[in-house]
Amino acid sequence: MPDNLTQKISEEALVARLRAKDNLAVSLLYDMYSATLYGVILQIVKTEEIAEDVLQEAFLKIWKSFDRYDEEKGRLFTWMINISRNLAIDKIRSKEYRMRVSTDAIAPGDYHSDFGSNAFNPDHIGLRDVVETLNPDQKKIIDLMYFKGLTQSEISEEYNIPLGTVKTRARSAVKLLSKLFKGSV
Amino acid sequence: MSNEEYLASGILELYAAGGLSQAEREEVELRAANSPEVRAALDEACAAMETYAQLHAVAPRPYLKDKIMAQVQETNPVAATPEQNSEAAVYSLPPAEETSPYKWMFAASIALFLISGLLSYHFYNKWQQTEDLLATARASEQLMAQNVQTTSLRSEQLQETLAILRNPDYQPVELEGVETHPDANMLVYWNPQNQEVYIDELTLPAPPTGMQYQLWALDNGNPVDAGMISLAGTTTAKLQKMKQISSAQAFAVTLEPMGGSVNPTLEQLMVMGKVKS
Repeated sequence: MPDNLTQKISEEALVARLRAKDNLAVSLLYDMYSATLYGVILQIVKTEEIAEDVLQEAFLKIWKSFDRYDEEKGRLFTWMINISRNLAIDKIRSKEYRMRVSTDAIAPGDYHSDFGSNAFNPDHIGLRDVVETLNPDQKKIIDLMYFKGLTQSEISEEYNIPLGTVKTRARSAVKLLSKLFKGSV
Repeated sequence: MSNEEYLASGILELYAAGGLSQAEREEVELRAANSPEVRAALDEACAAMETYAQLHAVAPRPYLKDKIMAQVQETNPVAATPEQNSEAAVYSLPPAEETSPYKWMFAASIALFLISGLLSYHFYNKWQQTEDLLATARASEQLMAQNVQTTSLRSEQLQETLAILRNPDYQPVELEGVETHPDANMLVYWNPQNQEVYIDELTLPAPPTGMQYQLWALDNGNPVDAGMISLAGTTTAKLQKMKQISSAQAFAVTLEPMGGSVNPTLEQLMVMGKVKS
C-alpha cells in the first residue's frame, strides 16, 4: 500500500528528486523500501551475506538506471522489487551461489518466519492471516513465482500442474490478498 | 481481446506474482500504458503482492546503508565537482558488477590461457630442437658404430694376414711380369703343409670386360687351377684365399674368360714365378 510506505514523501516527489540525481533521495528511498526489498531478497537467496550483496547491487542498479524507470508502465515499488527479484533470482541460479550454499549447508526456509512484518503493517495483518486466507496450493503457486522466480509454464512443467490450474490459483491468490489487505475479506 | 476479457484472463495477477516471462511482461506493460483501466487493475494486483512482500520485510543490518550510500556517492557523476570527479574516477573503478569473483576468474583464466599458449609454443620449439639434436646424435652414433665395425673387421683381417705372414710354413712366391707385361707382379703365399694358398700385392692391369685373371699352379709341368682372382679385395689388407694346392713348382696367372678355363690360355700369361726350393 503506497500510503504505508510514503509517509515522509510522496512517490511522485521522490521520483522527481531521483531523476534530478539527488543523493539524499536515495537515502529516503532506502529508508522507505530497504526492509521490504531485503526481506524479499532474503526469501529468495536464504543467506544474509548474499542478500546484503544483492540489496547493494539492486540499489546501485536502481540509482544508475533510474532513467529507465517509466511511471506510465508501473509503480516505482513494482519496478524496484522487480529489479531486486531479478538480481536475487539471477544470483541463486549462478554457479557462485550454488558453490557458496553447498559449502555453507544452509537449510532452506530459515527465514520463512514473519518477523519484522509488523513494523510495516499498521493493520497488523501477518503471514498467519495470509495462510488462513489462502489455501496451501494457492500460496505455493505465488511463492514459487515470487520467491523462486519460476514462470507459470515452468511451474506447470516442474510440478505437473496444468497451466490453466496454475493461472487460476495465481489469480485467486492475488485477488484474495488484495481483498485481505483492503480489509474487505 | 476486450479489457474485460483481458482482466478476467488472470494475466495481471500473474504479472504481479512474477509468473510471466520477459516478453509476456512487456506485453502487459504496453497494455497498461495504453489503458487506464488495465493500469488500475495492474496496480491493484501489484499492490497486493507488494503488501504480501512487506509481510516478509526484514530490516537489513544498519552498516549496509552507509556502504550503499557511499557507493551511490561514488557513482554519481552529476553531483561531483571537477576535483572530486577525478577522485571519483579513481574510486569508481570497481563498481558493483566488478566485485563478482567471476570477472577476476575470467580474467585470470584468459591470462592463464595466454601464458599456457606461450609456454606451449616455447616448449614445442625446444622439443623440436631436441628432436633434431637427437636425430643428429643418432646418425653420428650409427656412423661411429659402422666405423668401429669396419675397423674391427679390418683389424681382424690384419690379424689374419699377420698370422699368415709370420707363419714360416708359408712360402712367399714372387710372380714377375712376363715380357709383354713387365709392370705386372704379384705375391703368392703357399703353405705346402696345409696346402693353403693366398695371394697379395696384386699389380695387374684391370681385366677387360668379360675377362678374369686365373691362378695356376704348375706341378711337374701340368697347370692346375688354383682359383679365380677377385680384384675387389685388393684395397683391403686381406689376403685372398685361393684353392688348395698340394704340390707345385711354380705359379702363374693368365687372363681367361669370366668363370675361368680348364686349361690356361698361354698367350694371355701375365705373371709367373717359381717356388724357391
